[in-house]
Amino acid sequence: MAKTTYLEAIRQGLAEEMASDDRVYAIGEDIGLYGGAFKVTEGLLNRFGAERVIDTPVSETAIIGAAIGSAYLGMRPVAELQFIDFVACCFNILTNFAAKSRYRWGAGVPLVVRGPCGGGVSGGPFHSANPEAHFLHTPGLKIVEPSTAYDAKGLIKAAIRDDDPVLFLEHKLLYRRVQDEVPEEDYVVPLGQAVVRRPGDDVTIVTFGAMTHTALDAANQLAERDVAIEVIDLRTLSPLDYETILQSVAKTNKVIVLHEAQRTGGIGAEIAAAIAERGFEHLDAPPVRLASLDTPVPYSPALEAAFRPSVEQIVAAVEHLVEY
Amino acid sequence: MPTDVVMPQMGESIAEGTIVRWLRKVGDEVNRDEPLFEISTDKVDAEIPSPAAGVLTQVKVKEGETVPINSVVAVIGVRDTAAAEEPAPNPLPPSANVASAARVASPQPVKNPPTGPAAVRSGGSAEGGRVRSSPLVRRLAREHGIEVSQVTGSGLAGRVTKKDILAYIEHGPITALPTPVTATTKSPKPAPTFDADHATVAVPMTVMRQKIAEHMVASRRTSAHVHSIFEVDFSRVQRLRQAHNTLYEQSGAKLTLMPFIAKVVIDALRAMPIVNASVDGDQIIYKRDINLGIAVALDGGLVVPVIKNADEKNLLGLSRAIADLASRARAKQLGPAEVQEGTFTITNPGGLGAVFGLPIINQPQVAILGVGSLEKRPVVVNDAIAIRPIAYLTLGFDHRLIDGVVADQFVGHIKRGLEQFEAPIE
Amino acid sequence: MPATTATRPSDELSRDQRLELFYFARLTRDIEERLALLYRQNKVVGGLYRSLGQEGESVASAYALAENDAVAALIRNLGSVIVQGIRPRAIFAQYMAKGTSPTHGRDLNLHFSHIPNGDDGPIVIGPISTLGDLVPVMAGVGLGARMRRRRLVAMTYIGDGGTSTGAFHEGMNFAAVQKLPLVVIAEDNKYAYSTPVSQQMAIPRIDQRAEAYGIPHEMVDGNDMLAVYDASKRAVDLARQGAGPSLIGVDTMRMRGHAEHDDMRYVSKPLLDAWEARDPITRYRAHLIETEVATETDLVEIEAMSRQYAEDEAGLAEADPGPDPATVADGVVAGGHFQPSVEIVRSPFRVKRGASRHTQPTVVHP
Repeated sequence: MAKTTYLEAIRQGLAEEMASDDRVYAIGEDIGLYGGAFKVTEGLLNRFGAERVIDTPVSETAIIGAAIGSAYLGMRPVAELQFIDFVACCFNILTNFAAKSRYRWGAGVPLVVRGPCGGGVSGGPFHSANPEAHFLHTPGLKIVEPSTAYDAKGLIKAAIRDDDPVLFLEHKLLYRRVQDEVPEEDYVVPLGQAVVRRPGDDVTIVTFGAMTHTALDAANQLAERDVAIEVIDLRTLSPLDYETILQSVAKTNKVIVLHEAQRTGGIGAEIAAAIAERGFEHLDAPPVRLASLDTPVPYSPALEAAFRPSVEQIVAAVEHLVEY
Repeated sequence: MPTDVVMPQMGESIAEGTIVRWLRKVGDEVNRDEPLFEISTDKVDAEIPSPAAGVLTQVKVKEGETVPINSVVAVIGVRDTAAAEEPAPNPLPPSANVASAARVASPQPVKNPPTGPAAVRSGGSAEGGRVRSSPLVRRLAREHGIEVSQVTGSGLAGRVTKKDILAYIEHGPITALPTPVTATTKSPKPAPTFDADHATVAVPMTVMRQKIAEHMVASRRTSAHVHSIFEVDFSRVQRLRQAHNTLYEQSGAKLTLMPFIAKVVIDALRAMPIVNASVDGDQIIYKRDINLGIAVALDGGLVVPVIKNADEKNLLGLSRAIADLASRARAKQLGPAEVQEGTFTITNPGGLGAVFGLPIINQPQVAILGVGSLEKRPVVVNDAIAIRPIAYLTLGFDHRLIDGVVADQFVGHIKRGLEQFEAPIE
Repeated sequence: MPATTATRPSDELSRDQRLELFYFARLTRDIEERLALLYRQNKVVGGLYRSLGQEGESVASAYALAENDAVAALIRNLGSVIVQGIRPRAIFAQYMAKGTSPTHGRDLNLHFSHIPNGDDGPIVIGPISTLGDLVPVMAGVGLGARMRRRRLVAMTYIGDGGTSTGAFHEGMNFAAVQKLPLVVIAEDNKYAYSTPVSQQMAIPRIDQRAEAYGIPHEMVDGNDMLAVYDASKRAVDLARQGAGPSLIGVDTMRMRGHAEHDDMRYVSKPLLDAWEARDPITRYRAHLIETEVATETDLVEIEAMSRQYAEDEAGLAEADPGPDPATVADGVVAGGHFQPSVEIVRSPFRVKRGASRHTQPTVVHP
């Protein structure tokens, strides 16, 4: 199998679904001729035509609104937000219209809203967001963030086939840096299933997205000191796979929840609370959260490095837990 | 069946409404949807139609009265049976139903409740605190019938870790107790151990420490602390001490400075009862007895034993009482009654060389005397420089009750008393 | 769009259609009058938002749609969903939060949808309470219809306040760029809650909003039912021909407060009196008699029928049970049991409208 990038894997998944299901179409800003700000949709216009690869005005609410309306008519829209930060512009229609539709009326909205998230690339305060916590609190909306190319393809396909709105977060740091062997045959990675990326007995790190790789780097360092880290990659952030998390905590009895979004009110708080509630008697130490600082995402590489969780911080937190 | 007429909710935020006017009176026949009464709310005035046809059998709310929404304001009965009807019981407001319908995920019941506090408490610890462990360790202990206090902890601050209890389960207590521990040996106060990677370590406070912390902060919060410092010449006291010490030693006592100070303080308190008092709300509580507290420093804390009715003792009696209380305080043999009901406290920050201290009042007292170190200092006597044994006395006083002038008079009394000590020595 | 062509679309309306228009307007008002009584008897759980004085424009505009077209009503467009066949009982059940309501008590008043599979009946999309969002969503319905090769038209409403939102602008602009089959009825009903139109926009006529999008627009007397029908029908026809969206401004007046708890003290008595004299139903009734379409007896009969139907439907809904609290967490995402439905009924006139398609009425009102 050829090595495929994370970005190419998403494009393959999207194209395969468009080819196999003519209800699937793409809509967004600069996604047609230009192929998208990050070129995820490059080539789709030529292949599927302007009716199914729709360039829109700079109107995030119109993009999501049109996607919802067309979904009511049986379509399966895949809407691109140029940067996931811009989801703030369509927060209302996404959370109030799309996410509540099934509960209010039984009318599901099979919509995928995808876009590049995350920092580490000096994107600054408006091109680096990790907005999952804003949406974790939205019943009816699912959230996905792959960390590997294999998962990126399997998850985008699963998200498109899902009958509910899915916020599909693509970590831009991984777009071209991560490569996997990605099968050409049809497969999906089911939503709602975390995966153990690395088994270990001493401390569990629960994470996702680009931080999965940071956690694995830390685990490699710690392995040299005979500390065995178990790394769980959540993959789907809503609904959370508590079974996998709690199984791991029952084994290691010590857990770090690691994410790149800001710490306060982050998804780590929810996971740590659930572990404390449901896994209390498996804990040999308090659950630890590692996350970015409670500031906007800074621009300078030095500031951003100080802002995001680092391998060193993870190692230090693990050492503390080991001694605890 | 009778129909309740309720105060409607005219707007989401409306909580109550006022009956302005009844358009029908009790006994009247009413048709369904026929205007029955007028209401006025914060938002709107409206005419309210009858919910049912029948006879208005009851009007429960008079004109001009305001009642919460959903309150029953009247009852419409079936024609002809009106007179016999009992008033309908007040139905629950709809919100109660909503509340009961809300499904709150209840936490999982605890399957094996802990066998009791003893299971997780330290058996012989002098401090009586919990042995540090973790939820996992406590569960394992419970499941294996182990008392966590039997397991030696290797974690931070002696915490019993998963590894410790698993080793204990596997190898039993004998190998798990490699270090000899005897009940009679007083374990040395554990010094905090730092490891290479942590700049801090958390150690729980002793009960005494917690109490001191509590009391000191509470006192600072309670009293308006002011301090007044006087320089006192101890020449005469020193001379008297040297002259009489042998005599004292023969009777098993020791004539230190403290009995002298105590004696003149007692005299001053008797002369100025406002200092031997406390504050209770807006009342001044004067104390008949003079119960003198003397602060005694201990390892990791301090205690203030009290000489009850100190004014009944002479210098020798004070001397013995002070020596006795101090030694028993250090041996932790004081009874609870011996540290209570003090009315004034003397503390001795000068013991280790402090020139003077600014002591915090021992509540509910209103003043405290701090004694600085006794040192030979150059002083001006009759326009000449002389060398004299000098100590600074600080009075910390509660300005709520004691003004500066009063405080200064009080310390002035002590100063004079010491510099011109006249009490009988034997 | 010139408002005065030689022939008006309404010239084509049959006698039955003209009477049916009257019946729908009357039924809308009777339902709301019944709701007002239920509200004061504390049986309506939340607020009550009347369309008094605006029933004519909601009914006449929706009457320009074909039976299987899509309509999205705001809370004051009860008439439009009644025209498209939503059973009055469902409306009463919604307001009273009954378990039988189209949302099984989960949402209120006109907040419900009816989305049949394929071309099997009218599409009704409910609003969310933040106004403006229905415009992009209905643009999307038009987009979806085009992609699904269905020649349906999407119609929605927006008040003068709603046209000030960003969502309205984004949706109008997107529909214009994509030439989507969308008709937007923009109601100048003089107040958005308590704010007058003069503080909502600096243009003299609400339909001028459309000039920014380069789409056809016109302003009509919203209390002249046939004028509203004419303008709507022209716009619906354009949309169905693939000529893109239109906006119709209707000049009307909200004769009650924002909701029943609002006594409208900010509206002057002379203004209300002037609009009272222009009541759309009274005017249309007089027109039917003047043009000898109907006699007084005919109309009294229709009025009695409408009133009785509203009362019967209210009674049925009132007797319905509330929702089962055990269902509260069901159906947030796919895989639950929550499968609400709405009954679609035909009026006693049984008139077929617009591009005729096969319709399967589930209930025929006697």
